[in-house]
Parts: sequence; structure tokens; C-alpha cells
Amino acid sequence: MTDQVTVPAGSQRLAGSRRGSLVGWAFVTPFVILFVLFGLVPVIYSLYLAFTNRSGAGVGLANFAKAIDDFRFWPAVQHVAIFTIIWLVLLAVLVVGLTLVIHRIARRRTKAFIRFAYYIPGALAGASSVLLWLFLLDPSVSPVSWLLRLTGAETFQQVVSSERLPVIFALIAFWTGAGGWILVLYGALNTIPTEVMEAAKVDGAGPIRSAIQIELPMIRKSIVYMLILTLAAGTQLFVEPQLVSQASFGIVPNDYSVNQLAYVFAFGQNDFNGSAAISVLLLVVAVVGAALFVWRGKLFEAE
Amino acid sequence: MSSDLTTDLRRPTAGGSARARRAGSRSLVGIILIIFLAFFLVPVIWLLLSGTKSAQALTNQGPFTAGTFADLQANWNALMTFQDGAVATWMGNSVLYAGAALIISLLVSMPAGYALAKLQFKGRRPLLLATLVVMLMPATSLVLPIFLEMNVVGLVNTPLSVILPYSFFPFGVYLAYIYYSTALPGEILEAATIDGCGPWGTFWRVVLPLSTPVVALVGFFSFVQNWNNFFLPFVMLPRSEAYPMQVGLSQMLASTPTFNPVVGASAEVSPPELVLATLVSIAPVLLIFIVAQRYLVTGLTAGATKG
Amino acid sequence: MRSSATGHGAGNRHLRARTAAVGMLVGVLALAACSGGTTVGGTSTASDTSSPYGFKAAAQTEGAPITVWVDSTRQPAAKAFQAAHPDIKINIVAYDGNANGSNTFKTKTQLFDRAGSGWPDVAFTTDNNSAAWGSLTGTAALAPVNKGLIPQASLDKFAKGALDVCTLDGVAYCLRNDLAQNVLWYNKKLMDEWGYTVPTTWEDYQTLAGKVATEHPGYIVGTAGDAWTPEIYFWAAQCPANKVTGPTAVSVNTADPACVKAAKLLDGLIANKTMSTLSLFGPEFAQTQGDKVLMLPGPSWYGGAVFQGAIKSPAGQIAAAAPLKWADASSPATGNVGGGAWWISSHSANLKAATAFATWVTSQSAFDGALVPTYPANTAAAADWVKASQKDGYYANDIQPAFETAAAQVWSGWGSPSFSQEAIWAKVVQAGMTKGQTIESLLPAWQAQVANEAKALGYTVTTP
Repeated sequence: MTDQVTVPAGSQRLAGSRRGSLVGWAFVTPFVILFVLFGLVPVIYSLYLAFTNRSGAGVGLANFAKAIDDFRFWPAVQHVAIFTIIWLVLLAVLVVGLTLVIHRIARRRTKAFIRFAYYIPGALAGASSVLLWLFLLDPSVSPVSWLLRLTGAETFQQVVSSERLPVIFALIAFWTGAGGWILVLYGALNTIPTEVMEAAKVDGAGPIRSAIQIELPMIRKSIVYMLILTLAAGTQLFVEPQLVSQASFGIVPNDYSVNQLAYVFAFGQNDFNGSAAISVLLLVVAVVGAALFVWRGKLFEAE
Repeated sequence: MSSDLTTDLRRPTAGGSARARRAGSRSLVGIILIIFLAFFLVPVIWLLLSGTKSAQALTNQGPFTAGTFADLQANWNALMTFQDGAVATWMGNSVLYAGAALIISLLVSMPAGYALAKLQFKGRRPLLLATLVVMLMPATSLVLPIFLEMNVVGLVNTPLSVILPYSFFPFGVYLAYIYYSTALPGEILEAATIDGCGPWGTFWRVVLPLSTPVVALVGFFSFVQNWNNFFLPFVMLPRSEAYPMQVGLSQMLASTPTFNPVVGASAEVSPPELVLATLVSIAPVLLIFIVAQRYLVTGLTAGATKG
Repeated sequence: MRSSATGHGAGNRHLRARTAAVGMLVGVLALAACSGGTTVGGTSTASDTSSPYGFKAAAQTEGAPITVWVDSTRQPAAKAFQAAHPDIKINIVAYDGNANGSNTFKTKTQLFDRAGSGWPDVAFTTDNNSAAWGSLTGTAALAPVNKGLIPQASLDKFAKGALDVCTLDGVAYCLRNDLAQNVLWYNKKLMDEWGYTVPTTWEDYQTLAGKVATEHPGYIVGTAGDAWTPEIYFWAAQCPANKVTGPTAVSVNTADPACVKAAKLLDGLIANKTMSTLSLFGPEFAQTQGDKVLMLPGPSWYGGAVFQGAIKSPAGQIAAAAPLKWADASSPATGNVGGGAWWISSHSANLKAATAFATWVTSQSAFDGALVPTYPANTAAAADWVKASQKDGYYANDIQPAFETAAAQVWSGWGSPSFSQEAIWAKVVQAGMTKGQTIESLLPAWQAQVANEAKALGYTVTTP
């Protein structure tokens, strides 16, 4: 280690040097290989598709114009916007709140059981749950028929009518997604040293105050990460409307969300260029949102 | 290591009212937790009960009635003999693909997350940024290029065509990055360096043993994401013997009269059988969760820098 | 970056970055080149009159193994072929067969087109509009069958009009597996008990429904809760809502009197509650109305899938009558709901084996002793099938005359475009019906959606 530059006081990073840089690259090279193969090249390829036509000739923004002019585009954007707002707020507030609450439970077994129980729906993805939603959303056979009737719907087709859909999708997405994020935030909470929590208690901080002033700031990066991915997942809504579309035999259309429209462009209309254009639009939205969260949440800074 | 209410009670309290207040807030908390428990579990309980019913019973009996053991047996036998034991093959395939990808992605993601958090190298920030951007790209747009790539190297229709893309797990790299950058004190690394550990030795012998929670987390999420992935294997694996369980489930769905009226009695899958298939397909995920959960609660730095 | 970069180091960094970028670009361009594949949109060079097949086939290899895609219902057929023809090597791949509109065949074929390889030699799908995208003027993925590939004599063995669904500009691309001609199903026991005569016209059917509404409320004479409702009622009325006039041209006019009359019929019956708006295969129908079916216009496969399957009507009650006709129609016409077909790939390296397979499986009415579940499109096989399926005496009358009459009456003016008419009906009309609107009031919206979706797919749309 003799060619290492002395570590400046307070810095927690092994100081830079050519050897240090090589070492760093040695650690990330396997990931970078996979990243290039399955991340970077596909994204660049999609960008290439978005600006060219079927024969490979450049067409500028024509694909984007075609996508935006499509008669299904703006309704889909509306659907996704409403859904994302409901979804983001629901997830952010409830997941953080529930994790804090679970973290304070006394008994280890109860905690473990609750985390497990809250997670189980997360294992139910895709084809398997179509049947589940077919039954769950049908007031005549659903285990929560009283809840459905409360909203004024008497038949399955009424339950999936357009006004209710954003809330239904948000509930489904929350049901499957919350457990996983609770796990992540729980792990983050665990990294807070006990001394800090004890000190807070000694200072007389009640559970709510110590949560807001101590715990939340210390798991800030995980929360920011969650918000970034949740915003992206919200704007890229796909699975829930696809499931309910299948379960409703088409009454809920399969082009409800923007991401579904991208799929329809690619595999329904054989228009991979238009599909790539829509994907790029979604990416831009997600990146702008992420930039906002990263900047305010200081995700990339060292601690 | 959790800060819990039992420590509260052991401290001298201000008086009975404070205790009553705490008890009140505890029961409020309990009620909230139970409401959400019901929210998450009611559909799952419905699933469990439905697997024990016959198709008639499923539509005619109430949602929370239990079926009979005989019906459960019949459903199970029908499930296991579907397409000459396809379900067992599919489950085995899923285990292979998700398991192999789990190992590779852990081997790849943990060092990468550590380096991004703690090592200095040119391109660190661009790599972080690029990884995040790639993570935000809608997955539908990535399938075609990956399919073409695999086709070029002739790997389509082999397990590798699925395992390799699965092993690219930026979500896990970020989890590791966040974990190491917030919870790994630099003093430990300095101590290791002073003790004569090279960078690799530091990682392998000092950091990793302290990383069980994040390894469990990353491993678990990698397994689940790949276990539940439908579209990639759907595109890459044309032979039905190579399907993982998710693709197989969609085939079973296509044989259920509710979704495909003309399937014909010989090939038919009844809804309770489909429910049972679903339960079978989520069992490994839940098992791995239970295993991973034990490691999640171990503390990170207990004793590492004390003394 | 906090690194202490020397000039040398900085130069290296730039060089490395540039190399990486170039490498990336090369990779992407390589992908782009490989994905050239077939372009969509008019390549008449695929047609080839000098070839014995009528199209530019791939290089043929005698004895090459063929890959066959089947759904679980057709797997016995593929296995039976394997057993009966041990000299032909076939790989059987099971997939969903496009059930529930999954579009798997289309999706995968498009990917194979881009990659330039991987197509199955023969595929079964219930996606009858495959010709709309796979024809010679489309992606040319499908082989024309009536330009030399299959002798006309074999093609004539299919029922009249059976190949219409996959015929574009006179070129047929499939071998129809089964028909789904609409007949009038009815409960003979109840009809006799209540002294009703089986109607032969839609007008009589309407009158009878009125009687049922007052005399036996709760009983239904039809359902309009599934996405194929227009294929039963509007197709039979010869409503020009789905006229495919060319490979990329469609004409739609839902204001036509034929459409309006069918819509009025449905609205009236829904209003007097003799027409159910529940889906036949959802959980609620079997529970609440399964035993209240007096009449049910619908396809031939209702016999097995609905009466014996979903609602489990007791034996000896259900009968089939010839399809209803409108009194003012020039010729009797009925609709068709589904039926699958076998498609041969134009890229197949062993067309001989592929055609042998497709021809053989469509000519059988039973495999390994088990009857196929639906009415075969091959006339001879159909006759055998009808006889055999009545052996157990489930039906209350001889269904053969009704089935045969209906098979010849399917109106040819309802086409199979690239977009899904069923999906459009579900998301526009059914969604509107749920909100309480009448079908007649939804006709303009239906037309608008058809026009929009067709245009999005590159069709020229003619509306009045």
C-alpha cells in the first residue's frame, strides 16, 4: 500500500491513484460487461430505433410525432398521470409509515410474521393472478364483495368501469409492491446504529419525533431510491391493466397505459420504431423525475 | 437490535397516564397492523381455500368456505399430470434459471456495489448515472435488442439466453451501493488496510461477512424478479420443455375454459387447478423469503469497530 | 472526478472512452443490420409464378424435421400424426394457441422475422386474422396454399367458405381446422312444455321473447355479454361493420339499416330482460342464469363448451335448429364465432412434410379415440364428427341438419382484419352498455373506434 496517497481526514473513500482506479475497475468489470450487453446496447439500440424507420433511414422526430398523434396516446397519458399520483402518494406514505411501525414491534416472531404476511402478495405476479382478479373483482363471488358493493358496483363490468380503474390499479399495485419495499426500508432502518436511537430516547424524543427527525433522514437514500423507482413504475404502468384487461375479456382495453401502447405498437402493429419512440418518452419522464429526486435527496453523495 | 417498546417499559415512567397513553398508542398501532394484515392476506386466504374446491364449488359456494380433501387431491393429481407432468418440468426450469442467475448476480453485484460506494475510480459517477438510466428504461423496449443479441451468438433456445440477462441486476447493485455508502464506516476499511489487507482482501474477509443483510436482500430480490419474469423466457425459449413456471402458467391459463371456451374437455384445466398451480409457483419464493428474512435482522457493524 | 490525472492519464482516458464508444456503435449497428429481416408493407417480390408453390420458398431439404406449434387441445392431433407417420420427424411445441387474445403467434413471428430464423413449419392458432399481417403483401411469413402448394381437390374437401377467413385477394393462406357456424340452440324440453314453436325468423324470435318476458320472466333467449356478440347478431343481419375490401382496406358503416335493426333487436330484448348481459363463461352466469336458458343463438361449439361445460344442462334437453333469418334478407345468412386454422410457414425447409401434416390433421374427426371438441371444417370429417358426438344421446334432436345448413350459410361480408373486432366491441360497446347506454346509441362510437384502429394499423378506411 506504499503508493497510496494519504487519506485526508474525514474522507471515507480510499484515495484515488492509478492503482486505486484499476482496483475499482476490477471490482466492477463483471457488472460492466453485463451492463453493456444487457443494458447499454439495448438502450442505445432503442434510441436508434426511435429515430429511424423500418429500413434504417433516419427520420428525425417522425416516430415521436406519430406516437403523440395516435388517438390512443393522450387518453393513455391521462390514465397514467392519475394513476401515478395516487400510486406514488399511497406507496410513499404507507410503506414508510408501515415500515416504521413494524420496526418498533416488540416481539421478533410477530415482526417476522407480519413482514412475511405483507410480502406474500408480492410473489403473485403475472399470469397466475388473472384468475385471482377475475374472482376478486366480481361482486357475486368475491371475498370482498361488500367493499365492491360499497362503491356502488353490482356486477364485474361495473367494477371495472373507467372511473374506478386508477384506484383499482393503484390498490393492486400497492398490494403486490408494498411488501418488497417494506423489506428494503426495513433493512435500511436496521443499519441505524442502536446508539443513535438510544440517545434519542434519552433526549426524550417520542416515537413520532424520533421517526421524523432521526430515522427518516438516516434512511433518506433508500427512500429516494424507492421514490425514483416508484415514479418510473407508475409512469410505466403495464402489468395491472394488462391483467385486468385479460380478466375482463377486453372490457378494460389493452392500450390503457402508455407502456401498453408501446407494446401494442411493437407487437400488434409491427412498428418497433414507434414503440421505441414511446419508450424513449417514458424514459425521459422517468429520468427527469429521478434527477429531481436525486438532486433533492442527494443520492449520489458519500455519507 | 431493534429499538422496541420493551426497553421503554423497563425505564422508570413519569406516571400512570404516560403508560396509559403508550398502551393506547400501542393498540392503535395494533389495529392499523391488523387492518393491513387483512388487506394483504384476504386474497391469499381465498387462494388457499379455492385450491381445495371443485370447479362447481368455486362458483357456487361462498368465498370463505373450505373445500374437501378429496377435491384437493383431485386438483393436485390433475395438476401433476397436466401435459404429462409439465408442471414438474417447469418448476425445475424455474429453479435452474433463477438459481443460476442468483449466484451470478450476487457474484457480480456485490463487488460492484461496494466499489461504487467505497472505492475511487474514474467513471464511478457516470457508471452510477448510466446504471440508473438503464434501470428506468421500459423493459418492453429492451426485449427485441436482447433477443437479437442472443440470436447473433446462437444462444436462443438455451438456458443461457435467459440466465445471462437475468444476471444483470442493477436494482441489486444500487441496493448494495446504498447499503455500503450509508452503513459501512470508513474506519473499518482503514483498520483493514492498516492490518495489511489488500483491497480484495478487505472486501472478501472484512466487508462481506458484515454484509449478510444486503446479500440476503439482493439475493432474494434477484431470485424473485427472475422467478416471476414472463416476457424474456417467453421470447427466448420456443420449446415448451424449457419454459419456466410463469410461461407454463400462462399456458395453463390458455387451457382454462373461463379464458378459452373451446379448449375441449380432454385438455381442460379447471379454475381450482389453476389456483393450485399458482400456489405451487409461489411456494419457492415464499420459502426463500423465510430463509432470507433471518439474515435481514442481523446487525451490520456490531462489534466491528468497538474496542 | 477527484482523481489526480496526469496528461498521460487524461490522454489514455480519452482514447479509452473513444474506443468504447466506437465499439458500442459497432455493436448497435451490427444488431441493426441483423435485424433487417423482412420489411412490412408490400413486397410482391415474394410471389413467384415460376415456383411450383406459387411463392418464393426457402431451399427445400428432403426429410428435414418440421416444428409444429399446437395448443393443448391440438396436442393429441400432433401426437397422433407422429404415431401414424414415423418416417416424418416432427418437434411438437405446445403454446397457448392465441387463447384470450394473447397474440403469441403474431408476436413471435414478428421477432423471428427480425432475427431471420426460428419460424415453426406449421402452427395452429385461433387467431384467424393471421393472413391480414402474414400474407405475401404483408410480412410474407405465411405460405399461400392455393397457388400450387396444396392441390385444389384437397382444398375442396373443406366446407364452402371455410377458407374465407384467411383469403386475401383470392389467395388463401390456411387450412381451416374447425368451423364455428352459428345455429339456434334451444331447450326442447321447456319449449315443448310451454307449447312454443321454434322460431325460424328473427322477427318470430323477437315475438317469442316478448311472450317469455311476460309468461316466464327470468328465462333468457340469448346473451350479449361476450365480446363476440356482434359475430352472432350483426354478422347474421349482414351488417357491414367489418368489410375487408383489400389487404389494407376496410369499410365500416354501422348506420346501415342492417346494423340498426340488429341493434334494436338486442336493445329490446335486453330491456325486457330476456337477453342476458353476463359473460357466458364468467362465474356469475352459471350461478344465476345457467338453468334459465330457453334459447341461445350461438356457434356450434356452444353445445360442448356451454351446455355440457359451463352450465351443465341435463342430457336430453338441448337441441339445435337451423339459424334464424331476417324475413327481408335476400338469402339466409348466419355468423361464425371463431374456429382455428393451421398455417404453414413460407420459410419452411420441408414444405412436403408440413403440408402432409396440415392436410392430415384437418381430415380427422378424432385422435386416439377422443373426438375433437369442435365441428371440423373438412366436410367428411364433420359428418363423422356429428354422428359420433350424438352417440351418447346428449342432444334432444339430431343436430346434423342444423349444423350442415348453417355451415353453408356463413355470410362472406364479415372479414378478418389485422385488428381485433372483439377487443373493440368489448372496450367500446360493452363498456358503454355497463353504463346503461343502448347498443343503438353506441353504433357511432363503435364505427369511430374501428376506423381509428384500422387507420393506426395502416388500413385505408371507407366510411359513408
